[in-house]
Amino acid sequence: MAARGLLLASIYLSLLVHECYGVTLFSSLQKTLQVTTTTKRGQVLKAGEDKVTITWGLNQSLAAGTDSAYKTMKLQLCFAPVSQKDRAWRKTEDHLNKDKTCSFKIVEKPYNKSLQTLDWIIESDVPTATYFVRAYALNAERHEVAYGQSTNDQKTTNLFDIQAITGRHASLDIASVCFSVFSIVALFGFFFHEKRKARMSQQK
Amino acid sequence: MEVEGRDMASIRGDTDEPRKFDLPVDSEHKATEFRVLSTAAPHMRAFHLSWVSFFSCFVSTFAAPPLLPIIRDNLNLTATDIGNAGIASVSGAVFARIAMGTTCDLFGPRLASASLILITAPAVYFTSIASSPISFLLLRFCTGFSIATFVSTQFWMSSMFSGPVVGTANGVAGGWGNLGGGATQLIMPLVFGVIRDIGAIKFTAWRIAFFIPALFQTLAAFAVLIFGQDLPDGNFSGLQNSGDKQKDEFSRVFYHGATNYRGWILALTYGYCFGVELTVDNIIAEYFYDRFNLELHTAGMIAASFGLANIVSRPAGGMISDITAKRFGMRGRLWALWVMQTLGGVFCVILGQVGSLTASIIVMIIFSMFVQAACGLTFGVVPFVSRRSLGVISGMTGGGGNVGAVLTQLIFFKGSKYSKETGITLMGVMIICCTLPIMLIYFPQWGGMFCGPSKNITTEEDYYLSEWNSKEKQKGFHQSSLKFADNSRSERGRSRVNTTTIPPNQV
Repeated sequence: MAARGLLLASIYLSLLVHECYGVTLFSSLQKTLQVTTTTKRGQVLKAGEDKVTITWGLNQSLAAGTDSAYKTMKLQLCFAPVSQKDRAWRKTEDHLNKDKTCSFKIVEKPYNKSLQTLDWIIESDVPTATYFVRAYALNAERHEVAYGQSTNDQKTTNLFDIQAITGRHASLDIASVCFSVFSIVALFGFFFHEKRKARMSQQK
Repeated sequence: MEVEGRDMASIRGDTDEPRKFDLPVDSEHKATEFRVLSTAAPHMRAFHLSWVSFFSCFVSTFAAPPLLPIIRDNLNLTATDIGNAGIASVSGAVFARIAMGTTCDLFGPRLASASLILITAPAVYFTSIASSPISFLLLRFCTGFSIATFVSTQFWMSSMFSGPVVGTANGVAGGWGNLGGGATQLIMPLVFGVIRDIGAIKFTAWRIAFFIPALFQTLAAFAVLIFGQDLPDGNFSGLQNSGDKQKDEFSRVFYHGATNYRGWILALTYGYCFGVELTVDNIIAEYFYDRFNLELHTAGMIAASFGLANIVSRPAGGMISDITAKRFGMRGRLWALWVMQTLGGVFCVILGQVGSLTASIIVMIIFSMFVQAACGLTFGVVPFVSRRSLGVISGMTGGGGNVGAVLTQLIFFKGSKYSKETGITLMGVMIICCTLPIMLIYFPQWGGMFCGPSKNITTEEDYYLSEWNSKEKQKGFHQSSLKFADNSRSERGRSRVNTTTIPPNQV
């Protein structure tokens, strides 16, 4: 009985410990990476067409050995505060599991000490908003241990705008109009048919 | 008066062609039995046409919410835009339902409902080409007009089915139609997924997906026009031409509906069963998502189950109404309505108070059953409030439902004044308070919740014929009201119906 209780307690505790390891807070991450983008202020990029050149890597001025735990690098497209306003589904939370700031993954690569560059063509499902780029360094357990971003801590500098595709096509436009007109015309067609039937039965 | 197959008039030899019906009918040829698996013309066929077309309107009106995570990114919507569009989607139907009621009284439910469905179908087609928050709001507003077909559904059932089964018929038709609001939460993501897997990109796939509810709506309207029939004996226009039905006057119909205080009370109380149902449809997914940190699709499935409960709960309400009427008449119907709706309010208060996920789901399901049953019970009373202005009364009650939804969302669920759980508790308190006016409903020929029938001998004829003036009676316009009065004698309850004598003034 006591042994069973002990077993259950230890399982529960180990789960808790595992939970603790799973809880990564953004505020606990070190800002050791640097990220730069080639975008200009006020420039509007088109999703699906334009590209952003991103350069990222470890901040070279830091001591050696800072990056000993880094195994993978993850680049993400993140919403600037102006695009998070009145949109709770893009809210920033310290708890990284619940954080919705960075919803779009740009690329994930094994960690490399030297600076990396990428020409990223903006995907077609990116919505219209103002963005910046953030890089996370992940350790062997795939938990975030460090980060860097292309903007300052207040997220006010070096932001860029992306314009989404509309998703509309000429064929959809035409189909919508045709079906709508058909519905209205069919309705009036029925009315005339009914009136004619009523008139004919009255004449009988 | 139940007659199997042939009506009394033909047995007496009054008409030339004896009309044969598949179901037993009363003297107005309304069916006295409700056989849900039958499609016999004209009664059960009308039932199936009306609930399917009403279902399609609910699917279209609530097609956007399950796809909002994609639409809000495509159209750059804010939470305020989404909230306003949600309120807009239910506010259009407020006046549309009243207008629909009057249109049914004048032109018949078949033309009234099919016209509305076909006129609002373009709004659903055009949702595919929406390009901004304003266009999205306007399209949801226009699409929302289509759920005024609720009124034509209830009117049609009240015209096809007799007193003993009218509550059941109304409840099943209304409930299975309301089901569309829950089914769409499952249908639209499924359709979207299939289209996206075929190869369309996200922002195009949702647009194509909207053609499905739009086409369904169009085809449902065609079916109503081709296969439907207003009354057991034919359509309004045919009967008006042959002189069997008089074409009534809009101002008189509207006047008798608007001056009947019972219609106003039922409009208020319906706002606190159906209006609450619509409000919950709009907020419950977010409530579960935020309070219990569920996945969006899990929260969506819980939200869908609230609407899907309609498959049994609203029909059950209608049946309870008819069963209590058999024993206790109209007084039983009123008591059952008050009890069920008040219990709904109590469980709403509890829902806002419970803190665990399992308890919340259980309480929500119990709450949904009571609230939706109350909707069914309301339309067990509505067919008896007026005969001449049945459509206007149905429209006022239905419109009141939507007013309740708009008001409740504005007071408790807009902005951050109240947390959602506080809002839900306060909504429950408001339900209990706004259900009390049922105690004021009084029918002189049958009584009310606390009073028996009037001491002066008042008959059903006196009540229903008071809607016609002497000039109209001289022209014989009141004949259908006379028949209805006779058929409604069952609302006296078992103890009085057996001692009925046909009053001497009935011709």
